[in-house]
Amino acid sequence: MSLFQITARQGKHWLAVTEQNCPRQTTTGLTLKLTMQRGDFCLQIDNCLPLRGVTALFGRSGCGKTTLLRAIAGLDRHTGAEVQCGATIWQQDGRFVPVHQRRIGMVFQESSLLAHLTVEQNLLYGFKRLAKHAAIQLKPEQVIQMLELTPLLQQVPSQLSGGQRQRVALGRALLSQPQLLLLDEPLASLDQQSRCEILPFLQSIACQTGIPMLLVSHQLDDVVKLADNLVLMQDGRIHSQGPLQQQLLQPQLAAIGAMSMLDAKSHGCNNHLLKLSIGQQQLQLPAPQHCDSANYSPTSYRLRIQARDVALSLTPLNDSSVSNQLQVSISGFNSAPHPAETLVQLTLEGQPLQALLTKHSVERLGLQVGQQVYAQIKAVALD
Amino acid sequence: MAELFATLSPQDWQAIRLTLKLCLYTTVILLLLGTPLAWWLSLSDSKLRTAIQAIVALPLVLPPTVLGFYLLLLLGPHGAVGSTLEQLGFNHLAFSFSGILIGSVVYSLPFTVQPLMDSFRRMGPRPLEVAATLGACKLDQLFSVVLPLCRGGFIIAATLTFAHTLGEFGVILMLGGSIPGETQVLSVLIYDHTEAMNYAQAQQLSLGLLVSAFVVLFIVYGLNRRNQREAVL
Repeated sequence: MSLFQITARQGKHWLAVTEQNCPRQTTTGLTLKLTMQRGDFCLQIDNCLPLRGVTALFGRSGCGKTTLLRAIAGLDRHTGAEVQCGATIWQQDGRFVPVHQRRIGMVFQESSLLAHLTVEQNLLYGFKRLAKHAAIQLKPEQVIQMLELTPLLQQVPSQLSGGQRQRVALGRALLSQPQLLLLDEPLASLDQQSRCEILPFLQSIACQTGIPMLLVSHQLDDVVKLADNLVLMQDGRIHSQGPLQQQLLQPQLAAIGAMSMLDAKSHGCNNHLLKLSIGQQQLQLPAPQHCDSANYSPTSYRLRIQARDVALSLTPLNDSSVSNQLQVSISGFNSAPHPAETLVQLTLEGQPLQALLTKHSVERLGLQVGQQVYAQIKAVALD
Repeated sequence: MAELFATLSPQDWQAIRLTLKLCLYTTVILLLLGTPLAWWLSLSDSKLRTAIQAIVALPLVLPPTVLGFYLLLLLGPHGAVGSTLEQLGFNHLAFSFSGILIGSVVYSLPFTVQPLMDSFRRMGPRPLEVAATLGACKLDQLFSVVLPLCRGGFIIAATLTFAHTLGEFGVILMLGGSIPGETQVLSVLIYDHTEAMNYAQAQQLSLGLLVSAFVVLFIVYGLNRRNQREAVL
């Protein structure tokens, strides 16, 4: 997991978690400098985002996420802005590399397939326009197979469902061999079923191709499923950024619905139960449908746990129906949106976990920082 | 029908050829001029746009005689353009084919620009942004995205321009008079026939124009309907 630090400007550090510096002339990050005023709204960005894995730009509608993404793509030109992707300068001083010369792939919010072309022609639109000497990392056959597009190739966009259209748009963007993939709320216009259709593809693309992705979203669920890094935007500024697990502890996110993300290893299925381990501790969950013991291969899972689905007890409960009971230590207390509640920060084998309790319960149990307690986990979402 | 055409005089045929030539030239010139203008009008949101849009629409509301009158002043031997041309050793443009061609271009301008602007607006900027992110430069975008996506708009603009020029009368009469082979187009010839009480000949040509205008408009509305259905999908 990549850790990074915001270049400290005006001597102000926004984030404590640091491991790697990302200075101005970096070759690994996406350096952005952008000031824009439109009416009351002011966008002020002077940051460096990681160019590794999936980075989510998260914030309310109207906080400037899409504006920032469009500036990175070069779709809008803001005077005085600076955009540098790795070692390539896209905008600086008078220099402005036009959109069609930037090696980006972009997937827009709503269907953006070219209506006069078939699926196949859409897929190859960017691929055909690559320079002759361009390095081809992703071949059309690969992408068509990866996104299961074979049956759609001869259809026209009007015949496709919303989810299928976004899959084609994603494939088309990938085939233009981008050095950066920009996703502007690619799931926002889809119904729940179509979302579930396309999410696994996004996940597999992220790990199979290694192309860094910048995902704009205002759905925390999607972000937690996909992102490695979370950039929290607020009122036209980047409030904080860092690895997803740490960022989920930000109080701004608690207001939406505090949750935690845990990485777990799989140990196979038995009686339709999936066995997982986090460090030394074990969990059992109803197995997903594709998991059968005969065809089992160990994988890791990402668990999403809502803070309100975690209960705490001082001793292990033996007469409870909750079978997932983990030993954790208390690392801190945060205020919760509701005045009668408290968010308890826990550490589980080095990974952060949050529990939402009433202040009354915290007092009754006499919970304190450093204390060892047992967390009962009532519900888990698997990714 | 064959009998009808058999009685057309050589003068009638000359007028038909001249009219078709005028319509064709006007359509080609207007598509070349109108496309960038409509493009700019569909994108820009400056105050200048409103002014230009009003100017483009002027021929729709002004009596053709007003338009013809000012063009005559401008292009005639004493006008700014006409006198400059004469000083340079050319002829002034009043009562010439070039003159009525310029008149037609001005007169039919809204019929080219409006449908093009509508279809550019309906397409929106998104397909071009998509094409740009996929590596297509502006010129490439014009041929690979704008022309195919707005094909209906171009066909409608071309047919309307052609048909509207076919029905032009006032501007030509003011600016070109009625010189056979030079400015005597069908509409003017029908007027001349009627003035000379040649009702039978006027009737033939009028009926011909009526039928061809209906056919053209029928095609345009048919295309419009198909276009709208496509836009919904």
